[in-house]
Amino acid sequence: MVIVALIRKELMLLIRDWHALALLFLMPAAFILVMSLALQGRFAADQAVSLSYYLVDQDQSPASQGLVQQLAVAPELKREQSVEPVDTLRDAVHADKAQFLVLIPKGFGAALDGIAPLAIQLQSGPSVEPAVSELFTARLQGLLAELYLSKRLGILGVSLPDPAGAQKLLHADSLYAAGARPSSVQQNVPAWLLFAMFFIAIPLSTTWVQERQQGTYARLRSMGMSPVRLLLGKLVPYLGITLLQAVLMLAVGVWLVPLLGGGRLELGHAPAALCMMALAASFAAVSYALLVANLVSTAEQATIFTGVANLLMAAVGGIMVPRFVMPVAMQAVSLYSPMSWGLEGFLDVFLRQGDLRMAAPWALRLLVFGLVCLGLAAARLNLRRRS
Amino acid sequence: MIEVQSLSFRYPGAERDALQGLSLQVKAGSLFGLLGPNGSGKTTLISILTGLLQPGAGAISIGGEALPTGMRMVQGFSALVPQDYAFYPRLTVGENLRFFGGALSLGGAELDARLQEVSAVADLESFASTRAEHLSGGLKRRLNLAIGLLNRPRLLFLDEPTVGIDPQSRQFILDAIKRLNAEGATVVYTSHYMDEVQQLCDSIGVLDGGKLLARGTLDELLKAHPGQRNLEEVFLHLTGRRLRD
Repeated sequence: MVIVALIRKELMLLIRDWHALALLFLMPAAFILVMSLALQGRFAADQAVSLSYYLVDQDQSPASQGLVQQLAVAPELKREQSVEPVDTLRDAVHADKAQFLVLIPKGFGAALDGIAPLAIQLQSGPSVEPAVSELFTARLQGLLAELYLSKRLGILGVSLPDPAGAQKLLHADSLYAAGARPSSVQQNVPAWLLFAMFFIAIPLSTTWVQERQQGTYARLRSMGMSPVRLLLGKLVPYLGITLLQAVLMLAVGVWLVPLLGGGRLELGHAPAALCMMALAASFAAVSYALLVANLVSTAEQATIFTGVANLLMAAVGGIMVPRFVMPVAMQAVSLYSPMSWGLEGFLDVFLRQGDLRMAAPWALRLLVFGLVCLGLAAARLNLRRRS
Repeated sequence: MIEVQSLSFRYPGAERDALQGLSLQVKAGSLFGLLGPNGSGKTTLISILTGLLQPGAGAISIGGEALPTGMRMVQGFSALVPQDYAFYPRLTVGENLRFFGGALSLGGAELDARLQEVSAVADLESFASTRAEHLSGGLKRRLNLAIGLLNRPRLLFLDEPTVGIDPQSRQFILDAIKRLNAEGATVVYTSHYMDEVQQLCDSIGVLDGGKLLARGTLDELLKAHPGQRNLEEVFLHLTGRRLRD
C-alpha cells in the first residue's frame, strides 16, 4: 500500500510537469525524426553512390567524345547538363551545385597520339570529402588508362578485344547484410532513446531535491518510511516511465519515420532480447538518476551535472557520433560509456539478428552499472540521514 | 510521555555539541512550549525525538519506548508538523492527504474516514480539489497540520506552525491545537511568538546553547525571575540580547 502510494504520487507529479514530459518524450522523438531523416544517406553501406559533375569538352574530338560517353554510362556518376562558360561552372562547383568539374582541353585527342599527352583538368568542390574525390579520380583515371592503352595499341596495329575485361578481375561485395553497419534509423532510434532515458535524472533528482528542501522527505521519514521504501518508491515508477519511453521511441522508428520518408526500423527477430535490453537500459538509467539525486544538493546542480555527464557519455558512447566512424582508439574508449553498452545491445538485436545470448553481455554490463549506482545511492542516502 | 536524560548530540564536522547533556520531561496530556533563539538546539531535539537524527549520548524514552530501538513504535503514535510546507505543491489538497495517508499504510474506507476527519479539523473540505500551490499561507498551514493528524497522534510535535499567516488563520490553528490537546494529545510546540506560547502552553522550557536553561509553568518562570513581567522578558533575561544569525 505504501509503495502504491509512492508510485502514484511520483506519476502524478510527473504528469503535471510539462517540462519534464517534453524532455523525456518530445526531445528524443524530435532527435530521432530529425537525425534519422537528415543522415539517411550517410549510414548504410549499401546506399547508392551518386557523384555529380559538370563537363566541358573543348576538344570535341572522337577521343574526347568517347570519354564523355564512357563517363555518361558510369552508374555512379551523374552529369549536370550546362552550356555555361568554364568560369561560371567553376563557380557553381565552388558553390556546391555539383561536386566536380571535368575540363577536356582542346587538342586532347590529338595529343594522345603524340609523346606529350594533354592532361584533363579535374576540380572538386570545397565540401567534397577526400575519399569521394579519390573515388571520382580513380574512376576517371581508369577510363583514361583504357583510352590511352587502346590508342597506343592501335598505333602498333593491335586492338583490345574486350576493353572491359579488366573489370572481371575484381569482385567487390559488402558485408552489410551481415550487420556491419546500421542504417540511419537503426542507429538513431536506440541512440536517442538511451540519451533520453539517462535524462530521467533531471526530473527525478529535481523532485527529490524539492522533497528535501520542502520538508516532505523529513516528514516521510518521521512517519517511519524506510530508505529502502523511499528508493523503491522512486525506482519503480521511473522504471515504468523509461520503459514507456522505449515503447514510444521504437514506435516512432517503426511507424513515424517511414511516414516522413525515412527508413523503417526493423526490430529483429528476438523480442525477448529487445525486452531484456530495454529493461537493462531502464534500470541503469534510473539507478544512475537515483545516484545523481542523492549526490546533489540543489535542482540547479542536478540539471548541470546531468547535462554535462549525459553529453559526455553520449559523445563518447557513440550516440552523437556513431562508433563505426570513430578511430580505433576512440572505439575502445567508447566501450566505457553505459550508453554505448545499451546501443551495442540494441544494435545486436536490430542489425545482427542477435538473440538473448548475444545481447546478454551488454545487458549484464548495464545491470552491474545499475546495481553499483543503486548501492552508492543507498549509501549516500544513509550518510545524509545520519548527518 | 517524554523522558530525556543527559542527551548530547554533535553534527558531523561540528566544533561543539548541538545538545549538551540535556534532560527534559514532558507529561502525557500536556501542551509543552519549547522556546529558544535560532540555533539553540530546538530543531535538533525535535529531529531526534521524531527519528530524523540518531541520538548521541544519553537516554530517551517516549511513551515507554526507549529510543532509538523503539522508534518505529513511537512513529506509529506520534507526528511531526514541520515549519516548512511539507507537502507537494503540484498535488491537490485531497491528493496530498490521500498520499500521506497511504504512506501511513492507511487505505480503503479507513483512509476515506481519516481524510474526512482531518479535513474537518483543518476546515479544508471545500479545498480538496485545489492544488496546494494555489492555497493561501493560512490554508497551507492548515494542510500542513491536517497531514500531521492523519495517524491520530497521541504525541504531536509542532514546529512553528503559525509562521507567516494572518491573525484569523493563526487563531484557528491555535484553537485546533487546544482542542486536540483537550482530547488527550500531548503537544510539543515550538514558536518564536511568546504570546502564543503564553496563551497556549501549560508548561514551558527555554533552551539555549544546547542546554535547558529553565522549565516550568508561566507562573513558575515569572516567580523564578523576579522583575520580568511576561514570558518575552523572561526569555530575553535567560538568553540575552545577542543576535544569533
